[in-house]
Amino acid sequence: MQTTIYYDNKIVRNFAWATVLWGIVGMLVGVLIAVQLFLPEANLNTPYTTYGRIRPLHTNAVIFAFVGNAIFMGVYYSLQRLLKARMWSDALSQINFWGWQLIIVAAALTLPLGYTSSKEYAELEWPIDIAITIIWVVFGLNLIMTILNRREKHMYVAIWFYIATFVTVAVLHIVNSFELPLTLFKSYSYYAGVQDALVQWWYGHNAVAFFLTTPYLGLMYYFLPKVAQRPVYSYRLSIIHFWSLIFIYIWAGPHHLLYSSLPEWAQSLGVVFSIMLIAPSWGGMINGLLTLRGVWDKVREDPVLKMMVVAITGYGMATFEGPMHSLKSVNALSHFTDWIPAHVHVGTLAWNGMFTFAVLYYIIPKIFRTELYSLRLANAHFWLSTIGLVFWVVAMYWSGITQGLMWKQFTSEGTLQYPNFLETVIQIIPMYMVRALGGGIYLVGALIMAYNLIRTAASGHLVSNEPAIVPDRNPNAHETASWHRRLEGKPALFSILVTLAILIGGIVEFLPTFLVKSNIPTLSSVKPYTPLELHGRDVYIKEGCVGCHSQMIRPFRSETERYGEYSKAGEFIYDHPFLWGSKRTGPDLHRVGGKYPDSWHYNHMMVPERMSPGSIMPAYPWLAENLIDTSLTKDMVSAMRTLGVPYAKQTTADASALLDQQAAQITERLKKDGIIAHNHSEMVALIAYLQRLGIDIRQSTTRQINTP
Amino acid sequence: MAKNRDDLTNHDYDGIQEYDNDLPPWWIFIFYLSFVFALIYLLNYHVFRTAPLQSQEYAMEMEMARAELAAIEASASARLPLAFMDKVTDLETGKQIFTKYCVPCHGPDGGGTVGPNLTDHYFLHGNTVEDYFNVISLGVPEKGMIPWNKTLSRREILQVASYIQNRLQGSIPANPKEPQGTPLDQRISMLWGN
Repeated sequence: MQTTIYYDNKIVRNFAWATVLWGIVGMLVGVLIAVQLFLPEANLNTPYTTYGRIRPLHTNAVIFAFVGNAIFMGVYYSLQRLLKARMWSDALSQINFWGWQLIIVAAALTLPLGYTSSKEYAELEWPIDIAITIIWVVFGLNLIMTILNRREKHMYVAIWFYIATFVTVAVLHIVNSFELPLTLFKSYSYYAGVQDALVQWWYGHNAVAFFLTTPYLGLMYYFLPKVAQRPVYSYRLSIIHFWSLIFIYIWAGPHHLLYSSLPEWAQSLGVVFSIMLIAPSWGGMINGLLTLRGVWDKVREDPVLKMMVVAITGYGMATFEGPMHSLKSVNALSHFTDWIPAHVHVGTLAWNGMFTFAVLYYIIPKIFRTELYSLRLANAHFWLSTIGLVFWVVAMYWSGITQGLMWKQFTSEGTLQYPNFLETVIQIIPMYMVRALGGGIYLVGALIMAYNLIRTAASGHLVSNEPAIVPDRNPNAHETASWHRRLEGKPALFSILVTLAILIGGIVEFLPTFLVKSNIPTLSSVKPYTPLELHGRDVYIKEGCVGCHSQMIRPFRSETERYGEYSKAGEFIYDHPFLWGSKRTGPDLHRVGGKYPDSWHYNHMMVPERMSPGSIMPAYPWLAENLIDTSLTKDMVSAMRTLGVPYAKQTTADASALLDQQAAQITERLKKDGIIAHNHSEMVALIAYLQRLGIDIRQSTTRQINTP
Repeated sequence: MAKNRDDLTNHDYDGIQEYDNDLPPWWIFIFYLSFVFALIYLLNYHVFRTAPLQSQEYAMEMEMARAELAAIEASASARLPLAFMDKVTDLETGKQIFTKYCVPCHGPDGGGTVGPNLTDHYFLHGNTVEDYFNVISLGVPEKGMIPWNKTLSRREILQVASYIQNRLQGSIPANPKEPQGTPLDQRISMLWGN
């Protein structure tokens, strides 16, 4: 018995255009921030377009808008065909599409306005977090119901990866987004310090794993054999690398925190599971590349296949390099440098970018039932992407290693060779220019693609509902099949096993860190922030200072010479959220407290070049004009109390008075240096916070701290 | 190359077929090797403790640095006497150091901005070579003067101190900051000459 059904191509088309649009926007913002690193004035002198605020806009746009829409595009296209079923609910498909676009627009508005949780790749504030959860569940429901209503007995390997993606991203997003709302667009992370860092990098690492990797492996398993018209190389390799990948990936997050204050047993788990990830990752790469056996002549001609090959090769390179960065000796040099963005961009520009382009070049002619407008333009796009990628990453490998070595260089007299951090920055500025050029070339390629795809679509017409003749219902089961084959026919059980596989690693790493006290030794001299410092911390978060400044001094002589005593876990117990950072474009700030006079900070914020000639830090003149919202002071202190920060009851009641008292001291000191500042300006609050950083554990401090 | 087994061709997903090739042996080897690495790594750091954890590693590094610094201290260059220098080359180097590090707070000609005027004969922390050396190397953190002993060597501190004492003292800056601190006895300042 056979019947005719109709695949929904309209939803695929919607996601495809959204992918193209947001991809270009995200890359454009990327080029803009890249330019700002050698030309700070390119921030257009507004807070809304300054590096700290729009760097998260770039990452969110390319990850969740560009790649996110591409995932939906690819899943909605391939899932229907692999299951011989239309998407379960057109309404859910529509909600998925429009909801996701609204979330992106909300992100594009709130991030430049400075509404951010500051946790990397999870910057969006709590109402948007809730919206993401709802839309993601809508997607998952549509996915699962379509699977349950399939006309194919078994689930193909692509679908295993889609299931793992849905389940894990939901878990990651919900656990990492535990936060206490203060206002409509401001919240504080439920976790503090070391624990917040562990949760964040469990999330951050696995966002890479389950948003940038597993869904794309799923897409690879569908689109690569389709385009190459070759059978997949090995089914059993699919099984082994799928299960090992999702089980092992989840453990590897702590490799982002090597030589930090994270307990070392957790760091070591991060190291060994990263090394064990090499084979599972490469399993995907070789299953992709070996599928092309016998059609390499086609690869030479077809730009779509060429892009896929570069994408898969980039995936293989990035997943080998990642584990290498997890080795302590490499990490000691590479962490906080441009080497990390170089590594990341091999993954994103090659694997995600190029694979997305390939899928677009495949899907658009299919659903518009026409031929690609121009193969020559697609070829040009392939070369522009490849060359742009090479410029980008070579420049950043170069600058990362150069700067890393300069940070560690001592003279024969036993002092740092480059004690002034700025010297190490000025050295690599030419590389920043090359990087921006590479990004620009890559963007031009994407624009050419957009033109090519639009012309393609215009030359055909959309087959909104594509007919397919399919068997009436599930065909006969293969009772003699292997256990895994039988499992592929049981989506519920399959999903439960996936969930178990991805939960174990997180549980083993989290529970002891949260429950065993000895993991985070407390320090009696560490006290909560004052009300004014809390405001200052919020300014620091709002302006995205964490995008360029770490607050984590690692236990190396080169770092303690430069910055002071290395950071201790107990110093961060009141940090909701943690602000350790992941990149040092400027120096570490964990011990900046008391290092410079207040007036130095004031002058430096107004015109960085005045205090540090050659600095690439943007000027922040608006900090002197914008006022903090003192009506929130009490609520901020109470929120911190709710989160477990031990403020005396009196502190909440006296919050405003305490704030005014401390602000007056700072403005008084500024006045002595001829600077008139407003008591409640963001500047004064930020100075209060900066002067507090890292000083609690000092043996003797001459600065008076107002402890609450 | 492993043999192709076509027993799965009856499974066809939207036209996609799968071979059931054996896993590449080198791939299996890498996988097993990574387990061995993991086991040895964990035993090494956390069971037998044969490799230093990060705090021990830091202590070792600092121990080595102390030995190195002691050796440098003992060498000729470090036994540099605590005295102002007057060689032109030293003063020129001193000027370069001043331009690089001191200008943001003390002005390009030492007239003072955030930091005090260095050209007048008023002193906040004394004017002996020891005073100069201590203020530069240890700083005056409560007033915002940064300690420079991590940045500058003993020789460099003396060079920049000598530059200030020899060249800036008594010069006329473009925008002098008002005097701060204790005025120096007129008689002594005359003795300084310039």
